[in-house]
Amino acid sequence: LNAAPRRAPRQHIRFLPTPAPAPALAPGGGGALELVPSRVPVLADHPLVGGPRFRRLKIGVGHQLDMKASGVLVLGIGDGNKLLTDLYNCHLTKVYTVSGLFGKATDDFSDTGKLIEKTTFDHITREKLERIVAVIQGTNHKALLMYSNIDMKTQEAYELAVKGLIRPMEKSPPIITAIRCLQFALPEFQLEIHCLHETQQYLRKIVHEIGLELKSSAVCTQVRRTRDGVFTVDDALPRTQWDLRSVQDAIRNCRLKVRTELEKTL
Amino acid sequence: AMAGALRALRAVWPLLRRGLRGTARPPNTRQLREAEEAAPVFQYAGKAARRKDRVFVWGFSYSGALGIPSFVKPDAGWKKPRRIQCTPYRLETEEKISSAACGYGFTLLASSTTDITKVWGMGLNKDSQLGFQRSRRDQTKGYEYVLEPSPIPLPLEKPQQTRVLQVSCGRAHSLVLTDTEGVFTMGNNSYGQCGRKVVEDEIYSESHVIHQLNEFDSRVVQVVCGQDHSLFRTKKGAVYACGWGADGQTGLGHYNITSVPTKLRGDIAGVNIIQVSSYGDCCLAVSDEGEVFGWGNSEYLQLASVTETTQVNVPRHLPFKIGKIKEAACGGTGNAVLTEEGNVFVWGYGILGKGPNLRETAVPEMIPPSLFGWSDFNLDIRVAHVRCGLSQFAALTNRGELFVWGKNLRGCLGTGRMEDQYFPWRVTVPGEVVDVACGVDHMVSMVKSF
Repeated sequence: LNAAPRRAPRQHIRFLPTPAPAPALAPGGGGALELVPSRVPVLADHPLVGGPRFRRLKIGVGHQLDMKASGVLVLGIGDGNKLLTDLYNCHLTKVYTVSGLFGKATDDFSDTGKLIEKTTFDHITREKLERIVAVIQGTNHKALLMYSNIDMKTQEAYELAVKGLIRPMEKSPPIITAIRCLQFALPEFQLEIHCLHETQQYLRKIVHEIGLELKSSAVCTQVRRTRDGVFTVDDALPRTQWDLRSVQDAIRNCRLKVRTELEKTL
Repeated sequence: AMAGALRALRAVWPLLRRGLRGTARPPNTRQLREAEEAAPVFQYAGKAARRKDRVFVWGFSYSGALGIPSFVKPDAGWKKPRRIQCTPYRLETEEKISSAACGYGFTLLASSTTDITKVWGMGLNKDSQLGFQRSRRDQTKGYEYVLEPSPIPLPLEKPQQTRVLQVSCGRAHSLVLTDTEGVFTMGNNSYGQCGRKVVEDEIYSESHVIHQLNEFDSRVVQVVCGQDHSLFRTKKGAVYACGWGADGQTGLGHYNITSVPTKLRGDIAGVNIIQVSSYGDCCLAVSDEGEVFGWGNSEYLQLASVTETTQVNVPRHLPFKIGKIKEAACGGTGNAVLTEEGNVFVWGYGILGKGPNLRETAVPEMIPPSLFGWSDFNLDIRVAHVRCGLSQFAALTNRGELFVWGKNLRGCLGTGRMEDQYFPWRVTVPGEVVDVACGVDHMVSMVKSF
């Protein structure tokens, strides 16, 4: 950043003493110094005086991501940190791709934990999994309506419910707004989960509970966030692109999306 | 002394060294993997694990209609009487229940078995709507309130071959439909709703009378009870009615009571009816072509689309342009129909399900499918059945979810709250709901476990 061309130094008018042009005939004149107004750069703006322009950058993080999870992580730079708080208050849903494995139960619900129990899983079919997933969605839908703190008896509550816009706008326990099964190949399966106010450990716990409901056990092998509010995997920069140009392009591309989303909600 | 101490230490040293060698160290990956493979595997459900059928009840329990005696008379010191059960509660039954019906304070459960006991009843029995339940304390008297599902003895000719297809309950009478022996009726007959001649000053409590009806043009396929009248639908598509007719709900062209099931004419004559529904004083019938016909009480704009009068005693065709209708359900003041696409239309008076502003309408209004869980993710969610209680509606989706809305009389909606529900709300039932029966202040559902 510091190598980028700097802003042109400010100019101001100063009265500088300049030796007057000596007449050709009078040698040894030198003579009186005159004050001539001229435009000179402000010395304070000179790089050798002021030093590098950027010494520290304020970087803030959006919603947290676990040690064992991967995916989209939103960062704010400098003034963008204020936008981060605004985005948090929008309470937008995040989308995760969660992979699980049937047959094991561990203490921290992931496959690297201490084994507690092993169970059979050949009675599980995709249909059963989808049934359980539909029930989870149903109960969470109810929780969504309950935690949104709207009086159910009003007409606006009805209209918002029809459009599906009812959302809890304050702190609430984790709520799953949509969940569906992407892949199913015993013993592995993959789910896509849209949720609010959750932690990755909660998602692993959900996988464990799905295993229990199906009268078996399951552990979570992978949690990957594919979308965080308006930011998707396509906008995210992979490790090879962590340089100034890509960051600036990414910020420019997302600026419009973020602004429209904030205006819509707040 | 020094040498002695050193000698003692040397003797102890091997023990110390052994102790240090034997301490536990965190196991390495190979040991972990071996431990994992050696762990025993538990089996909780085999390949042939079958889904069980369960019955869930909720609502007002003091009438005994829920069938759980400990709610009314607690059998343990710590239990307290529970007046209202606001969330679904499991009712243990001996057989798989295939059909259930809720009346005004009582319930009938029927199973399609060939055993001797096919129908169980619980709740109010002041008019013998559950048959004669002999009291155990006094053998000459009967019970007025039946608190748990008790078998109802039916006078069948071939008790080990006949199967009960369906049951239906009205205000104080009930109908039991069998496959070969016609319809059995019991309960109050002061308006002829049981299909037999009205006897003056008949005392209906502790009565053993169960009447059998067999004279129809063909086999009866569906029986429906209104508040004080009965409707029978036969295989040929004809509808018969008997009972109270002051609101025209018998549809026979007059406002008197009928004590013998008589065939309905009017716009239904010649039409193949595939479903009839009634719960209060209004009746709806659906034909095989998706047309709906109505008759009976119209004080709440139920039939206002065809007539201004408040009572219609002849079946009239209701010209609704909402698509082919698959199922209809009549409540006390509001009606609902289900179309082939899976949309629910409501009209009438009361809490119709479209928010607190829609109180009455004469023309059917559709309930947005997004309220039933339809969204961009679940495009194939559709409503499969609609049912009506006196002032409540229930809808079952094809995913097995139950949605209820309407007046929450004594907790009958099962949502866990005591307030009225102005738009469809999911009832959390641990299982896939197969069928639901709505009553005045309680509901019964048949559920398949996961």
